[in-house]
Amino acid sequence: MRSRLRLGGACVAVLALLGARHVPSHAQAAQQYAIRVMPPGGPAPRLPDGHPDLSGHWLPNSAGEGVSGRDGVDPAARRQFDPKVTPEAPPAFQPWAEAKIKAMTPVELELSKSSVNCMPRGLPAIWLQNPYSTVIVHTPAMMAQLYEVLNNWRLVYTDGRPAPKDPEPWFHGTSTTHWDRDTLVVDSFGFDERTFVTPTGWFHSDAMKVTERYTRPSKNYLIVEITVDDSKVLTRPWKSAPRRWTLGNGEVYEFYCTNNRELDELGKLKEQESYGK
Amino acid sequence: MKSLRTAGLVIVAAGVLLTAVPSSAHHSFAAEFDASKCRDFSGTLTKVEWTNPHGFFYVDIKDPDGTVHNWSFQTYALITLRRAGTSLQLFKDNIGKDVWVRGCTAKNGKEHYAAAGTLKFASDGVVRQMGQLQD
Repeated sequence: MRSRLRLGGACVAVLALLGARHVPSHAQAAQQYAIRVMPPGGPAPRLPDGHPDLSGHWLPNSAGEGVSGRDGVDPAARRQFDPKVTPEAPPAFQPWAEAKIKAMTPVELELSKSSVNCMPRGLPAIWLQNPYSTVIVHTPAMMAQLYEVLNNWRLVYTDGRPAPKDPEPWFHGTSTTHWDRDTLVVDSFGFDERTFVTPTGWFHSDAMKVTERYTRPSKNYLIVEITVDDSKVLTRPWKSAPRRWTLGNGEVYEFYCTNNRELDELGKLKEQESYGK
Repeated sequence: MKSLRTAGLVIVAAGVLLTAVPSSAHHSFAAEFDASKCRDFSGTLTKVEWTNPHGFFYVDIKDPDGTVHNWSFQTYALITLRRAGTSLQLFKDNIGKDVWVRGCTAKNGKEHYAAAGTLKFASDGVVRQMGQLQD
């Protein structure tokens, strides 16, 4: 009993210490890192029509610069969101969809990833599984998104034009937009079914609808929140955490996928997997 | 003493929780390479392919019996290398010179082919991250 009490006391003491000193200790600890969380940077710029201007060179982290393959990075600067603060629930799959994903072999799962097969990520994966930067050019009538990965791009019209009645299936779907105060809401449908929502085998149907909510709370931060509604695959819509993108220095690199050996290498592994069955 | 040990364990556990970060969306190292077959390689840099989705560099490596094989090593995508400060010119400047690599070989048994984790050119001795040898 006494040792249990001591254990409880130790836990309380440590948690109290962590709780009481959390903010200042993190601020102090962050000083030791060369790459830190980006400051807000002042108010967000505005378009001539008064709405927030989402233009910028955006990196998928909280640092405003590259963090992969680098030392001295504050863990908080690597993140797009803190799951302890804004947790992200897993998607609620229908039983048949869950069974289909579970039946995928490790190699099949690997071959489904756009980072391996060089297919466009498409929407919503471009905002959920993209480690590279995105340039947004925003005017009152249009938002152009220029993705560094695979040199893909997308135009989102914000001039109020209606969606076509029978859109062709596109990797980024067909979109309509409206403003919810300072949030740009983009509703999209009509997707090419070859893409995956996440690199964990989450496939989607032709019924998928995606809502993107864009806010720019300050000059250096863009927040993107995604909702996926897919009545044929999910039992209820899935909502992402609000994910942070930070303003980069405008250096954008070319990324054409021209030397993909992984398909060959994984193809050989798939053969070995088949023989093993 | 026991309570000190307990407090230490709690601190370590709390530290792990506080520093845990969600893994970035990427493809799996473990699907293609064997984390149980990692080793250090030393040899002479012969060639670089500055391509996507991965770069490749080639190193002449001598076996214990004296036979030389030209190994190819896969790297991060070029964007990641560039943002971490590694350029094509750096590789070009080191062709024909000594290089050290930590890497893991392919799961499918392909010979003289590996994923690169870290690399060090003898010319400057700086350890550079070339890829991730884990998921």
